[in-house]
Amino acid sequence: MSEVSKFSRPGVAIIGCGAITAVGRGVDALRAALKTNSSGLKPNARFDSPRFQSSIVGAVPPNDFPSGDPAFHLAVAALGEACDEARNVLSSIPAARIGLVLSTTKANIAALEQLAENEPCSDDARRHLQGYALAVDLAAGQGASGPVQCVSVACVSGLVALQQGAKLILRGDADAVLVVGVDHLSSFVVAGFTALKAIDPNGCRPFDRNRCGLSPGEAGAAIVLVRGDLAPSSAISMLGWGGSNDANHLTGPSRDGSGLALAIRRALNASGLQSPDIGYVNAHGTGTPYNDAMESMALRTVFGEKCPPVSAAKGMLGHTLGAAGVVETIVCILAMEGRFLPGTPRLIEPAEGTPAGLMRDPHVVDCLNVVLKLNTGFGGINGALILGHG
Amino acid sequence: MESLANELKVRIIKTLQLEGVQPEQIDDDAPLFGAGLDLDSIDALELVAMLENSYGIVIKDLEAGRPAFQSIRALASFIQAKRAA
Amino acid sequence: MDKIVIAAASMVGEEDVRMARLGTRFGRLDLASQLALVAVEALGVNFDLLPRELIGICLAARAGSLATDFDFWRGRDNAGGPSPTLFAYTLPSSAIGEIAIRHRLTGPNLCLTGEGSIIPEACDLLRRGEAQACLCVFYNVVTPAIAGLINSPAAALAGAILLRLGGNGVRELGENDRDIEKMCRVLCPKDLAS
Repeated sequence: MSEVSKFSRPGVAIIGCGAITAVGRGVDALRAALKTNSSGLKPNARFDSPRFQSSIVGAVPPNDFPSGDPAFHLAVAALGEACDEARNVLSSIPAARIGLVLSTTKANIAALEQLAENEPCSDDARRHLQGYALAVDLAAGQGASGPVQCVSVACVSGLVALQQGAKLILRGDADAVLVVGVDHLSSFVVAGFTALKAIDPNGCRPFDRNRCGLSPGEAGAAIVLVRGDLAPSSAISMLGWGGSNDANHLTGPSRDGSGLALAIRRALNASGLQSPDIGYVNAHGTGTPYNDAMESMALRTVFGEKCPPVSAAKGMLGHTLGAAGVVETIVCILAMEGRFLPGTPRLIEPAEGTPAGLMRDPHVVDCLNVVLKLNTGFGGINGALILGHG
Repeated sequence: MESLANELKVRIIKTLQLEGVQPEQIDDDAPLFGAGLDLDSIDALELVAMLENSYGIVIKDLEAGRPAFQSIRALASFIQAKRAA
Repeated sequence: MDKIVIAAASMVGEEDVRMARLGTRFGRLDLASQLALVAVEALGVNFDLLPRELIGICLAARAGSLATDFDFWRGRDNAGGPSPTLFAYTLPSSAIGEIAIRHRLTGPNLCLTGEGSIIPEACDLLRRGEAQACLCVFYNVVTPAIAGLINSPAAALAGAILLRLGGNGVRELGENDRDIEKMCRVLCPKDLAS
């Protein structure tokens, strides 16, 4: 039995969020889309090729999308908004005490595509092919000279980046950490998922009985973490987390969901909570037959018949890979602040075996104090994060 | 037919980078998936790509193409049928 | 609190991969995953003696997966499309999956790219009870194709260190033990054909 780590005061609190996604620029746009259960998935107008399945994707709208060095600019947009919201507290923290953790799977892969076609590519864009260099430049741009890390653990990167930010604060290496997740829509990724026949050509339908694949997406998303005692008492905190590996197959999750269930139990233990304490679960919900079935099983294993409300955001945003853990955590934060349970855009008819608490439409609630966020990724990696008020 | 079967064994070993496996060790009727060579879902996708790259045969629907992948013999028959068509 | 101990260390290169006999399917892994697996194998650890669900894996992917990214993208105009197998390896963390599968390790995982330092992160996992042992692995794969792209010399090497809470080992982990590659070079002096 592992030693239980409780999160004692002062803990780690959240004081700013920023996002640029398929539903537009800014957290307000995201909140509006959540309340109307809208989808930002549209036919791919950015690139085309006979080698792709026709794809419905979650692309940042053309007016907001930065074409050169897209990974950098999407991240900067999100960071700018988050740091703006956190300005009051951040301005009182010395630069050397502010760190940055980047979450990305492919960084600025656009540069590889351009170079392969002998197209022009700026030095910065090429430099940002490497996630660490991208992280260093993002930190410098925000005037943060504390520790810098680039996390890359497939689709769980966002949650792990948040954990890393929290750890830097808890062990005293920083007083604030800017956590930013980014991946841009790319021919590279669309071609790859096409090769795996993992894309739903008509757009993903998480947990739906007719689901048959994911929708590639892109986003920049940022969350500012601070030492708990520096945040207002009303701030949302990271209460605990857990990770695990299925140890089963490189691209297919463990069929019984036991790996994800283990990650959830670890997060509950670390938070000092029990399953009935969870008020809402935001699932990974990619829309592939395997992922959603596995997640349903994991939730049943942990919660039995008493599953809390569950929903998924990828029908709105697409699968944003390295940004997913961060932007979907922002969805949870908006839900807690706004006191509503998000729905599952594009879900029409729940498949057999999906959780009883699965929600198609958003619902207003009196309060939402404890939320569980899940992500899983290639390599059998599972992540669970618990957020709480106060 | 025999030479096609043999050619397929060589190609599969090369495409899937199977180590320490000789063509003679692959039985014509042994299962390719689940048992026998115990290939997995990614291997299936690689073989579909191999069919297109090396034989110009396109499989649009994985499920419909499943019987062709039961064994080397099944695959060879499938290819010959496509060539005759 | 138990001391953190270096239980084993290793350093491997392409020659070790060529000589490795790790099963029929070893050939389909990309070079990075092959190096990482061989580095773990070279530790000579008996995982039966450790609780597999409490063994973490921390990976330092120096140049990310860029070499494999390049290989994958080179096949984009194949009639049958680019390789699905290769795509699975266009993630810096794929080696974690291979290590976890081979040794049935279900503990927590972390992968940092670039100059990220994983030894302090492994210590963090151990100190907060998320793991009782941690496999720290670094790999650096820079093929001639990408060397110019990222202004880095060609390289193909990996190393591993197993850290444990308490128990026997090579020596106790020291304050200055932060750079895994440096530690592996010192603990495993070896003529690496470069």
